[in-house]
Amino acid sequence: MKILVCLKQVPEKDSRYKIDDLATWIREDDLVFETNESDVYALEEALRLKEKLGGEVGVLSLGEERALKTIKSGLAMGADRAFHLSDPAFQGSDAFVVATAIARAISGQNFDIIFTGVQSEDMAFAQTGTILAQLLGWPHATIVMEVNVSEGGKKARVKRELESNLFEVVEISLPAVLTIQSGINQPRYATLKGIMQAKKKEIRRFSAQDLGLESSQLGKTGSMVDHQKMFFPEKKKKTVILEGTPEEAARTLMERLRKEAKVL
Amino acid sequence: MPGKTLVLAEHRAGKIKSISWEAIGFGQKLAERLNQELKVVLIGKAIGDLAEEVSRRCGQEVLTLVNDHCETYTPEAYCHILSQVAQQETPFLFLMGHTYQAIDFAPKLATRLGRGFIPNCVDCQIDADRVVFVRQVFNGKINLQVGLKGEPPYFVSLQQGAFNAYEVQSRQSPRVVNLTIPLPDEVLKRKVLEIFQAAQGKVDLSQAEIIIAGGRGLGSKEKFQLILDLAEALGAAVGASRPVTDGGWLPKEHQIGSSGQTVTPKLYIACGISGAIQHLVGMMNSSCIVAINKDPNAPIFSVADYGIVGDVFKVLPVLIELAKEIRK
Ligand SMILES: Cc1cc2nc3c(=O)[nH]c(=O)nc-3n(C[C@H](O)[C@H](O)[C@H](O)COP(=O)(O)OP(=O)(O)OC[C@H]3O[C@@H](n4cnc5c(N)ncnc54)[C@H](O)[C@@H]3O)c2cc1C
Ligand SMILES: Nc1ncnc2c1ncn2[C@@H]1O[C@H](COP(=O)(O)O)[C@@H](O)[C@H]1O
Repeated sequence: MKILVCLKQVPEKDSRYKIDDLATWIREDDLVFETNESDVYALEEALRLKEKLGGEVGVLSLGEERALKTIKSGLAMGADRAFHLSDPAFQGSDAFVVATAIARAISGQNFDIIFTGVQSEDMAFAQTGTILAQLLGWPHATIVMEVNVSEGGKKARVKRELESNLFEVVEISLPAVLTIQSGINQPRYATLKGIMQAKKKEIRRFSAQDLGLESSQLGKTGSMVDHQKMFFPEKKKKTVILEGTPEEAARTLMERLRKEAKVL
Repeated sequence: MPGKTLVLAEHRAGKIKSISWEAIGFGQKLAERLNQELKVVLIGKAIGDLAEEVSRRCGQEVLTLVNDHCETYTPEAYCHILSQVAQQETPFLFLMGHTYQAIDFAPKLATRLGRGFIPNCVDCQIDADRVVFVRQVFNGKINLQVGLKGEPPYFVSLQQGAFNAYEVQSRQSPRVVNLTIPLPDEVLKRKVLEIFQAAQGKVDLSQAEIIIAGGRGLGSKEKFQLILDLAEALGAAVGASRPVTDGGWLPKEHQIGSSGQTVTPKLYIACGISGAIQHLVGMMNSSCIVAINKDPNAPIFSVADYGIVGDVFKVLPVLIELAKEIRK
C-alpha cells in the first residue's frame, strides 16, 4: 500500500493576527507555525495502515521554506519520504491551484490512497482533497472517521461522519482520496529515534517550473475565485466584558448572573 | 444582471433542512436585487410531496430530479446530475447551505465544470453590477472578501445561521417541473452500505438548564477537572468542544456542535473554547452565554452576553468557591 499524506503548515491556533498593508495576507513576523490539526490525524491513520498492510507513506507539503518543519515532523513521526512544493509564485493560491500542483507532483507515483485533512485552519476551504480527486479522476470520501482496506487493496470501506451524530459507511474503489477528520485516532508523538532517522530521509523539492506550471496558472491569477481583501470582523452582539482581577471579574459575573440575567 | 439563481435544497427523512430554507430566503432576496429568476433544485427518490411543499411555501419553481439511485446521496450521482442541470439552466449563481453534503460534492462539481466554489459564506454585498461574498479564515478571526471570477455559474455555500434574517417570501409562481437525467453505470459504482445514528449515550444535554463547557484551553484531562467541579457546584451538566472528546478527556456524548449535540440551556458557560462555527451552531441559541477566554479576539465573544478576558485557571477556582457559597 502506497499512501500519500498532505500536510499543510498553518499558524498556531492561539495566534494573534495582524493583517498586512495590502490586506491580502497576515503579517507572519511574530507567528509560530504548526501542522494543521486534521492532517496529523491523517498521517497517523496512514502510518497505521502501513503497519498493518506494509508499503510506504509519503508526505507532501506546499509552502515556503518554513514548511520544512512540518515535513520533518512528518518524517519523524514515521513517514518514509517527502515532497516539498515550494515557489514564491504559489503565494495567494486557492484550493484549485494547490490541488493542481499536488496532482502534478505525484503523477506517475502510483499512490493507492491520498489522505488530506478535512480542512485547513487558516484558509478553511475544505476543498483541496476533493478537487485533487476530481483532477486525478479518482473517487473520494470526505470527513472520514474509519478506514478499512479490503479486497487485497482494491477497495476501502470508510466510515464518514455526517451531521448530528449520523454516520455513513461507504465502499469505494482505490486509488482514492480520503479527507480525514480529527478524532479518528490518537496520533503518536515523534520519538528521538524517529527524529534522528528523519534526517536521512529523502525530501524531493519541486518548483512551479518543475511541475510545468506557468505564472498564469498560479497564485491569484490562476485561482478560480477572487480573494480581494482581509479584514477583522465586526462584533454583532454586545458582550459585557467584566473587568478587574480574575477574582473581581468572577465575583461580578456571579452577581450579574443572579441579579441581572437571573439564571442562577 | 439578468439570469437565474439556483438554490439546492437538502433534505433528510422527508424534511428540508433549516439551512436550506435560509439559502432559499437569501436566494430570493438576491434574485430580486439582481433581477433574476429563482429556481429551487431538489434531488431524491420519492420527493413529489416535498417539492409541492417547497413550491407552495416559497411560490417559486421547483426543479425536481427524481431518480431511484438518489434515495441515498453519493457525490458521483449528484455531480453528474447537477453538472447537467448547470448546463441546461445556465444559472448565474448556484447557492446551497454549507453542509457536510456540500463539502463532499460541491468542490468536485465546480472543478468538473471548470469553476470555483466559495464555501461557508457569512455575508454578501450586492451592487447593480457586482456581487461579493465574505467568508471566515484563520479560525474565524479574520474575514475574507471574495469576488466572483471568470464565467458563471458561480458556486457558493452559506454558513448556517448567517443568513437567517432573510425569511422565505411567498412569491406568485409556484410550479414543480420534473427533469429526468439518467445515470450512467460508472457513477453508480459507489456503494452506501449503511447510515446509522451513533448510539445515544447516557448524556442528554438537550434538557440541561445550565451547561458548563470546556475546550482545549483547559490543557489536559487532569486540568479539565475544574470544569467538572464548577458543574457540580452549580448542579449543571458538562459540555465540551471537539478537541476535548477527540483527545479522550471526556466521552463523545459531551461534545456540543455540528457533529455533537445541539443545546439551548438557560445558561452556557464556555471556558477555554475559541468559538469555531462548528461549536457555535450547537450552543448559540442558549439564553445567556458566558465566555471565559484569555484571547479578547476569540470568536466566542461574538455570541457571548458576558465575557471575562482571562486565564481559566485563575477564574474557575474563584467561580467554584462562589458557587459553593451560593448553594449553601
Ligand atoms: C466538519 C467539522 C465538524 C466539527 N464539529 C465540531 C463540533 O461538533 N463541536 C466542536 O466543538 N468542534 C467541532 N469542530 C472543530 C472546530 O472547528 C474547532 O476546531 C473546535 O471547536 C475548537 O475547539 P476549542 O475551542 O476547544 O479549541 P481551540 O480552537 O484550540 O481554542 C482554545 C481556546 O482556549 C483559549 N485558551 C487557551 N488557554 C487558556 C487559558 N489558560 N485561559 C483561558 N483561555 C485559554 C484560547 O485563547 C483559545 O481561544 C468541527 C470541525 C469540522 C471541520
Ligand atoms: N499547501 C498545502 N500543502 C499540503 N497540503 C495541503 C495544502 N493545502 C491544503 N492541503 C491539504 O488539504 C486539506 C484541506 O485544506 P483546505 O482545502 O485548504 O481546507 C488540508 O488539511 C491538507 O491536508
